[in-house]
Amino acid sequence: MSLSIYYFLAITAVNILMTWAIYLPYRVAHLHFITIANMAISGYLAGFLVMSLKLPFFWALLIGFAVGGIIGYIVSLFIGDAPTFAVVIVGFTFIYITRTVIENLPAVGGTMGMFGLPNIGNSPAAHRYIILAILYGLVLLVGFLIHRFDSSRLGKAASAVFVDKDLATSLGVDIKKVGQLLQVFSCLVAGGTGVLYGFIYKSFHLDFFTFHLVGVFMTTIFVGGYTTLWGSLLMAPVLYGLPLLFPKEIQSWRMVIYGVILILILVLKPEGFITRKFVYNIGIRLSRKRGKI
Amino acid sequence: MKKLVGVLVLLLVAATASFGQVVTNEWQIPFLNALTGAIASIGEYLHWGANYAAEEINAAGGIAGKPVKIIPVDVALDPQKGSVEMARIVKDTLVALGPVPEPVIMAAMPIAVENGMMSITATTSYEYAAPYLPWTLSWFPPTEDRLATLIAAYLNQFNDIKTVVQFVEPMGPWPGMAKGHSKAIADKKLKEVKVDVPIDAVSFGPIVVRAMAQKPDAIILACNAEKAAKIIKELRGLGWKKMNHILVFSSADTPELYTTSPKDVEGVQIYNYTNDDLDTPRWNAFKKAYMADHKGTQVPSLAPNYYDAVYMIKEAIEKTGVTGDPKKLKEERKKIADYLQNVKGFKGLLFEWDNVNGVAMTKPTYIFEIRNGRKNLVLEVKPGL
Repeated sequence: MSLSIYYFLAITAVNILMTWAIYLPYRVAHLHFITIANMAISGYLAGFLVMSLKLPFFWALLIGFAVGGIIGYIVSLFIGDAPTFAVVIVGFTFIYITRTVIENLPAVGGTMGMFGLPNIGNSPAAHRYIILAILYGLVLLVGFLIHRFDSSRLGKAASAVFVDKDLATSLGVDIKKVGQLLQVFSCLVAGGTGVLYGFIYKSFHLDFFTFHLVGVFMTTIFVGGYTTLWGSLLMAPVLYGLPLLFPKEIQSWRMVIYGVILILILVLKPEGFITRKFVYNIGIRLSRKRGKI
Repeated sequence: MKKLVGVLVLLLVAATASFGQVVTNEWQIPFLNALTGAIASIGEYLHWGANYAAEEINAAGGIAGKPVKIIPVDVALDPQKGSVEMARIVKDTLVALGPVPEPVIMAAMPIAVENGMMSITATTSYEYAAPYLPWTLSWFPPTEDRLATLIAAYLNQFNDIKTVVQFVEPMGPWPGMAKGHSKAIADKKLKEVKVDVPIDAVSFGPIVVRAMAQKPDAIILACNAEKAAKIIKELRGLGWKKMNHILVFSSADTPELYTTSPKDVEGVQIYNYTNDDLDTPRWNAFKKAYMADHKGTQVPSLAPNYYDAVYMIKEAIEKTGVTGDPKKLKEERKKIADYLQNVKGFKGLLFEWDNVNGVAMTKPTYIFEIRNGRKNLVLEVKPGL
């Protein structure tokens, strides 16, 4: 496999997972940007465990997932049922705090960053295959779980919370518990993804985890469609790969092009490309085809 | 759905597409640079320097008789883009320039190393280049030792300094540079007080008051240019008189230092790696061309770096007999890397230097005093002196 294919596939998988990590809490109207901080915390921690304590990568990865989940749980105790705006503020604050803490920790390289993460496996090629296998294994697993969630009673409860919290409460939905569940799961996914993100580059730098990522993930969700998981799955490779198709002459206009796409989508198709109706219609067509057979 | 699948296939094809075959009748040197985003203005003049060198070389007959072309590859500040672009480049490129800046270096350089391709990172500090030697070069010696020597020379100018306050902004390599300053202060057995400058700070009164409470005799500023100018303004406001007892570090030597509060920075000292007062035909021509293309603005200190890097590549190709034949790519990449590790007496735009195991070890540093908005040379500090 060529290197450019590897990087394209690996980073696309990271973007899919992270977009889902933001999509899930958004099912109850929470824009949970703490996930970006979780990527950094778990990533740096795993890097430290592997580099300094010589812990095997897979243990470090598991710890990365766990730490993401634990942080998500602790924070969700306070903001599990908070309004959208409060969750956004907490997320941004957490990103700032995380950056400041890491900047002041010489053990993880401080402002300089962390260099020379080892290969997983015996060779660089093995490293790449293992990273891709884990990432796409995760995409399948997380995608399956979100799909199950979306069509479950819990998913319908989340939809009710998204539309009207009071209505959802009157229907017997524990809005805090639903919010907590989604926040914890998204933080857990973000923690593990952060570890893998650093191991793709074999290094960590604070600027890997900037507000730029918030922009990328938000664009993916809102252009792809924020009402189903399929929008993120399809838009992550398209939006990430799109600039690769631009001729050199218009490369410098790519942020403008992104912006125009986002504005056009918000005006012309506010729910994004892939809506629930779209998914429903595809489902109907597929079942008709099956019926014919 | 079919359309979407089509788009995905197209994207995969684009991602695998070759960056550009080695064209044997032209040397193509990709330059991974930040041409858009927050540091696009820096990326522009770095590219300008490389391109100017290519124009000069082509006018004089090219490299080994063939013209050279610098191919701009924009990576913005984005490690994701940097890694994909580097992955495309390493397929068939002989030698590359960049990446710029540090997060992209960290994401993309492991790819160059793994594929045995030299990519010259000519603007970063030693600490960011060293992990990727011998597949890159460090344009500077180890930061701590280099700056300790420089600060010792600065402090030796005065005999009334007992306490030094150092303002440090926690950005990239700057705390590491501050450490080099601290080493010299400690070696001279002076008292040092560090004051943190928050990255998002907009007002500096409180931190300057805190600093002045230490009754410092000298101030070192390791923060960005605008913040340095504002801190100096506050210091003046609190009655600071000995302006040459304030030293600004090299990364703050940008136009903002001279334009934010021009009168307040008069008399302040600043260190950097280029000497604007140099008077050689080559430097004068470079300066004139730069100013003509940039509405008369002064040449930034990093502008000559990639100019020199292109000439260094020229020297390596010509001295090692590299042909650019795609069939010998691996072997010729190694030849270039090996040659560049220990170049002796390289004639750069501003001075001559040696590379020792990939590290430029003999470059001087200069201390200036700002007078009438211009830098006037006070001291030339040679490494290890």
